[in-house]
Amino acid sequence: MRISEHPILGIPEQKEEVEFTYDGNVMKGLEGEPVAAALKAAGVTIHRYTSRHHSPRGIFCAIGRCTDCVMVVDGMPNVRTCVTPLAAGMDVRTQYGVSVKAEIVYEIEEKGR
Amino acid sequence: MKKNDRSREIGSFQPLPDDDRLICRCEEISKGEIRRAVHDGMFTLTEIRRYLRTGMGLCQGQTCAKLIRDIVAKELGISAGELEHTAARAPMRPIEMRAFANEGKGGELDEKQFGGK
Amino acid sequence: MIRYDLIVIGAGPAGLSAAIEAARSGLQVIVFDENAKPGGQLFKQIHKFFGSKEHKAKIRGFQIGSELLEEAAQAGVEVVLNASVIGLYLDKEITVRIENRLLHYKGDTVIVATGASETMVTFDGWTLPGVIGAGAAQTMMNLHSVQPGKRILMLGSGNVGLVVSFQLLQAGCEVAAIVDAAPRIGGYGVHAAKVARCGVPFFLSHTILRAEGDDWVTGVTIGQVDGNWNTIEGTEKHFDVDAICLAVGLSPMSQLLQMAGCEMEEHPKFGGIVPICDPYGETSIPGLFAAGDVSGIEEASSAMIEGRIAGAAAALRLGYFSENEFALRVAELERALSSLRQGMFAPENKGKKLSVTEEGCPVSEHLLGTGFLTEDEIFRYPGVKKIKGIHPVIECSQNIPCNPCQDACSRKCIKVGERITSLPVVDEEAVCSGCGMCVAACSGQCIFLVDEEFEEDYAAVVIPYEFLPLPRAGEKGIALDRSGKELCHAEVVAVKSLTAFDKTSLLTIKVSKEMSMRARFYKKGVRVG
Repeated sequence: MRISEHPILGIPEQKEEVEFTYDGNVMKGLEGEPVAAALKAAGVTIHRYTSRHHSPRGIFCAIGRCTDCVMVVDGMPNVRTCVTPLAAGMDVRTQYGVSVKAEIVYEIEEKGR
Repeated sequence: MKKNDRSREIGSFQPLPDDDRLICRCEEISKGEIRRAVHDGMFTLTEIRRYLRTGMGLCQGQTCAKLIRDIVAKELGISAGELEHTAARAPMRPIEMRAFANEGKGGELDEKQFGGK
Repeated sequence: MIRYDLIVIGAGPAGLSAAIEAARSGLQVIVFDENAKPGGQLFKQIHKFFGSKEHKAKIRGFQIGSELLEEAAQAGVEVVLNASVIGLYLDKEITVRIENRLLHYKGDTVIVATGASETMVTFDGWTLPGVIGAGAAQTMMNLHSVQPGKRILMLGSGNVGLVVSFQLLQAGCEVAAIVDAAPRIGGYGVHAAKVARCGVPFFLSHTILRAEGDDWVTGVTIGQVDGNWNTIEGTEKHFDVDAICLAVGLSPMSQLLQMAGCEMEEHPKFGGIVPICDPYGETSIPGLFAAGDVSGIEEASSAMIEGRIAGAAAALRLGYFSENEFALRVAELERALSSLRQGMFAPENKGKKLSVTEEGCPVSEHLLGTGFLTEDEIFRYPGVKKIKGIHPVIECSQNIPCNPCQDACSRKCIKVGERITSLPVVDEEAVCSGCGMCVAACSGQCIFLVDEEFEEDYAAVVIPYEFLPLPRAGEKGIALDRSGKELCHAEVVAVKSLTAFDKTSLLTIKVSKEMSMRARFYKKGVRVG
């Protein structure tokens, strides 16, 4: 999925390969690229599940506007992964509603009813 | 049309096949919910926003504002241009509360100041 | 609170141009941009720009971006990145979020150049991962070197849809189809022709019925619509794709201006809610200006000039320009701007159906419906002549503001003339040297060199080529016609990649003589039959 050489842009700027975790699994990406780009290159398409319909979402605008690609990064929810640079050792997790664990969201909803 | 003409007769809510389609992606509000809100008496975009929370999620209506305008206008039988705009207010982008707590601190554009507390 | 002569919001083509113009006039200028990199959308634009020299024509967008940044630095413009302006208040005070702080700045003048956001359409499944904006596709592939998908369906045949489709092909992705609910292609015919000859089919009067897939896009179904936008039963077509790209339009990101209390209006011609401005971009609030897409959707070329004008107007307001200096400067800029706003795609022609060019040549309905001109149609246009020996064939059939081909030819074979929207005319008397500069200079890639006397039974056709891997001389393959259909055997006899061509390589292919006016693209492989 990565473009190794482009007819107009040539060979992409060399960036250091770093390790990060996605839902606890170790993955590799390029330092400084958006977290979303690293995930896309690794074949991850689902960034979060919504709180109301629990439906999957991923990259939509890629420029930090639509907020569809938010995930829990280093414990912080609602992080726009398309504009957040990847750093070594980052902990990236699928966001369910507004947190990491789906059960919590469901519990809150049950109480609300 | 007068912006807030409550006496206007718009008929009853008629279901449409695409009523389940999501319009506001953040707050997950469907087309049917928006149309129904109009029939519940929400004739302005501001009322719709407060009633349903459309456009009040994380992205602040970046994607759905225009879509909702068109749906509401159609339901009211007017053109989108006749609808009063919703208020645009700060913050224009998602921002953490701690940034607000730091409002006005560090007036100089000195990189060193941004490095922490 | 810090005070500046001028605060510019947005470091895209309009904002940077405004800042440069004002700083050169002596203003102290600061530019805020929410992104990590300046340049707005320019760095995603990898095609050569249209216009003429003064509009930086035939230079690729990202190179224009670099030039602007350099100019800004030289002019002493301060550019602050990762800085989101979250509020614009009375008396031109702004709040900016920089890291975890909220800072206040005040400008004696403020230029809002926040650009546009993508308009979206809805269909069943449009929230599935894999349904993305065209801007997202550009960002992923051109900035981050990651393909947005393997096989993509594009919705929208305006310039954005066409240009991004071509870029997807350049990034090594497959474009399954370009779909548009309108009955005619909305963007430049030359952009459409570029993708059509790569074999991408157009489905006009079609819309997306649904995106398919449980967790992400695995396919899409489109259907034909009638005059009332209702789907015609039995016209459904399915494509296996892993991404759907939406390029249905842009709308001005004018909320900051609205918040400041500018008088606004809903203007379909400008793409949405825009501030009411004077000719120099000044809003109803004195000293508060708007430039670029935020005041009406156009091209980056015009945004840059609008920015310059607003920058000059800010300088005038603060007394850095005399009325006289201002009038002189702006007259020049307005001339440049108005030359861009001519032709068939001029703002006043938006939505109009034009049947003849300024020269009286009939417009090709075929081009508007399928993306390519037919062989019979091309001789209607003044750039296509029957000439002995090698000569340019210019398949330019619409009045668009562009004239680099004229400047490229040292032999004066090509004439556009004073009006840059005129169709290029090939002079039968002038002698073409076969240098290929015009082929590489054409931003629309619609110039070919044809030599019918190349060999006894063979003609040579020179085509612009911007893909990898680059074919090698001696390689045998297949010539494709304007629709991307396989036509005949072809042999690559030369491949030229000069610095002056700026990444557009020139492929000379040898085809049988009768194919000289049909062969317009090349692919590697063996033709069956």
